Amino acid sequence: MSYLTQMLGLTVQNFLSAATGMAIVVALIRGFVRRSADGIGNFWVDMTRSTLYILLPLSLILAVLLASQGVVQTFDAYKTVPLLEPVTYEQPKLDAEGKPLTDTSGNPLTETLTAKEQVIAVGPAASQIAIKQLGTNGGGFFNVNSAHPLENATPFSNFLEMLAIVLIPAALCYTFGKMVGDTRQGWAILAAMTILFIGLLLPAEYSEWKGNPAFASLEVDQTASEAQAGGNMEGKEARFGIVSSALWATVTTAASNGSVNSMHDSFTPLGGLVPMWLMQLGEVVYGGVGSGLYGMLVFAIIAVFVAGPMIGRTPEYLGKKIEAFEMTMAGIAILITPLLVLVGTALAVSLTAGKATIFNPGAHGFSEVLYAFSSASNNNGSAFAGLGANNPFYNTALGIIMFLGRYWIAVPVLAIAGSLAAKKLVPSGLGTLPTHTPLFVVLLIGTVLMVGALNFIPALALGPVVEHLMMIGAR
Amino acid sequence: MTDETAVISHPLPKTVWASLFDPTILRQAIGDSFKKLAPQYQWRNPVMFVVYLGSLLTTALYVQALGGQGEAPAGFILAVTLWLWVTLLFANFAESVAEGRAKAQAASLRRARGAVMAKRLHEPRQGASWSKVEGPLLRKGDVVLVEAGDLMPADGEVIEGVASVDESAITGESAPVIRESGGDFSAVTGGTRLLSDWLVVRIAVNPGEAFLDRMIAMVEAAKRQKTPNEIALTILLVALTLIFLFVTVTLLPFSAYSVEVMKAGAPVTTVLVALLGCLIPTTIGALLSAIGIAGMGRMMQKNVVAVSGRAVEAAGDVDVLLLDKTGTITLGNRHATAFLHAGGVAVKELADAAQLASLADETPEGRSVVVLAKHQFGLRGRDIHALGATSCRSVPTPG
Repeated sequence: MSYLTQMLGLTVQNFLSAATGMAIVVALIRGFVRRSADGIGNFWVDMTRSTLYILLPLSLILAVLLASQGVVQTFDAYKTVPLLEPVTYEQPKLDAEGKPLTDTSGNPLTETLTAKEQVIAVGPAASQIAIKQLGTNGGGFFNVNSAHPLENATPFSNFLEMLAIVLIPAALCYTFGKMVGDTRQGWAILAAMTILFIGLLLPAEYSEWKGNPAFASLEVDQTASEAQAGGNMEGKEARFGIVSSALWATVTTAASNGSVNSMHDSFTPLGGLVPMWLMQLGEVVYGGVGSGLYGMLVFAIIAVFVAGPMIGRTPEYLGKKIEAFEMTMAGIAILITPLLVLVGTALAVSLTAGKATIFNPGAHGFSEVLYAFSSASNNNGSAFAGLGANNPFYNTALGIIMFLGRYWIAVPVLAIAGSLAAKKLVPSGLGTLPTHTPLFVVLLIGTVLMVGALNFIPALALGPVVEHLMMIGAR
Repeated sequence: MTDETAVISHPLPKTVWASLFDPTILRQAIGDSFKKLAPQYQWRNPVMFVVYLGSLLTTALYVQALGGQGEAPAGFILAVTLWLWVTLLFANFAESVAEGRAKAQAASLRRARGAVMAKRLHEPRQGASWSKVEGPLLRKGDVVLVEAGDLMPADGEVIEGVASVDESAITGESAPVIRESGGDFSAVTGGTRLLSDWLVVRIAVNPGEAFLDRMIAMVEAAKRQKTPNEIALTILLVALTLIFLFVTVTLLPFSAYSVEVMKAGAPVTTVLVALLGCLIPTTIGALLSAIGIAGMGRMMQKNVVAVSGRAVEAAGDVDVLLLDKTGTITLGNRHATAFLHAGGVAVKELADAAQLASLADETPEGRSVVVLAKHQFGLRGRDIHALGATSCRSVPTPG
């Protein structure tokens, strides 16, 4: 794509996607705040504000910081530079029609070539990266995404880019607390997200750090030392090593970002299970800009509803009664992820068109398909790249699922917002379940895990878990 | 109290509390739990209906396995099938027991009510001949004679006569009120008691429409409506059931794929049905209606009749109960139960003074003070005129 297409076309999408998420979450929060109201704000106003006051200033700052670290930002054409060491390689000879030539005995003919220069792709990358990270959009400027030195130059730029992914989704929790007039409510949601995040980050790190036990019998040294990072370095950028790669993988799938600095497909089975599961939880651990928080608030509504009958009270969240209509909409919202992911995966492994491009048949092939559908339905975009997804079947199926996954959930969320806004505020009393306590945080985490875990564990057991057992068995 | 709950002032007969293990109820419930396996009944509870379909499926698989074509050992399929059917039967049983207890309670309520006898007049005028009929048999338009000391058999309108009526059981007002034909004071309510004279009353309601009847119908769960929370909970349960249905149904192609690429094992079906039965919220789904009935039973034990399930929920949300009159929730006829004396005054002295002060008081409160003094200290009620008392004026005191 030309620089103009990138800057005009994709930038608009990058900004709007994030601004839309924020507009929806703000509408939902207004639903909690307003009493007996018949409106929850103007979408265009919220979108413009989000873009002007949040996304633009932040991406300006981030772009400049990234450029200072060496991330390229230029309109110049691709650079051709001489190689320090010319490379000699063999290449099959082709005839006029592009078919490989063979000698008389049928062996392919080759010619020896020497490359003395290479083309280095450049472009206005820093500004694009800033908004793609801040807006949790993913999609790199260069093909290898944030593993590319001109896209992610230094450890500090790596840190900045990771921080940018979770910055707005996490900060919106505070916005939520501020808007409902009780910041403790926001901290509780943030605490639940963070506990889930750390709880899943640690196994991913551990699994990658331990490496592949199959190598032990081959006498391959996988221990970390001065000379090497150790652990499972397949598919990882040597500049970042295990910790930064696994951390990035967790961050990018916890938020619905999808930019990568390592190859998720090459993670160990359990290391790869973590990013997959984070997406399947519905991208609520920080999650996308706005979408993470409204997804989490839907879970909070369900948590309150489950807890209400336990203490014999009509369930209320932030003074609004949770009734049949809200539960219907919350039910629809939590149905979406399992429906899209599981039915999509089931179709792919049943149809010939879907099975044709699974290049690693077996448990890992299944993991790849499951990852592809988890990623698409939760608007993530990262992939287990061993799956050949660029064909009519996967493009159509994943495209439809991406569309439904993003917009289907917005409809019930806005319906909840409208219904809550029309309700009166119930003053909290002795019997009200407080929603800012550690108890509620645990309850919320439990609800997220119950829905997420129970839904996907059977499928995960057939993919990554089988892989893991096979890997241990192969020792 | 909301309009939907009523408090019975007198304790209900002991027989109302049907025992949980009453053999008649249990026998009935066991029969009912099999009758309720009919599809049109199971359909009403979506969660259990899914279990029902699963049971039918594994039963079919078992029959297939008996024919030697089974996808798993016949014994295993049989075990899973039996568990699923037992789950269904237990759900039906719990509900039947709860219903049985509610019916027993309603029956004893009805017995208590049947005691009211009415004097139905053959002609709508005072002095006409009358015959005794049971209160519940009265129809709208019947004309009855009510005399001093009688209970009003049903709601109606006074067409002849003037009398004082004690309406404390309904309104809580302890002083008797006058009811007469014509005008604003002609309506009388069933359950009130005539204190003096007589009335000719035209009954205004059919049996089954009166307040007490609605209470009984409620207890019998005949008109049981789902409460708002119950509806919302059902929706959540249905959503979860749907999710887990997707989970298990999609496991079939997943396992088929695994079998295909691994060239080992066989796709599973019975296990999937068993997994579904474990995942979906069967326990709460099965017991939801039983819980609702039990909730009303609990309130019954506290002498509160819930007229709807909604009222049970509302009662759970009550923090403070404010009443503008005591009679609504108590007997209505306030009466003295003890003399509490301040220091320096003997109790008997207090009782004597209180009795003297209450002699001219014709309200139930006043009369009860006189009676209490007589009971506790043997102070006879004295004739107020014999004491030479005259109506007194307030005298301004100096200072």
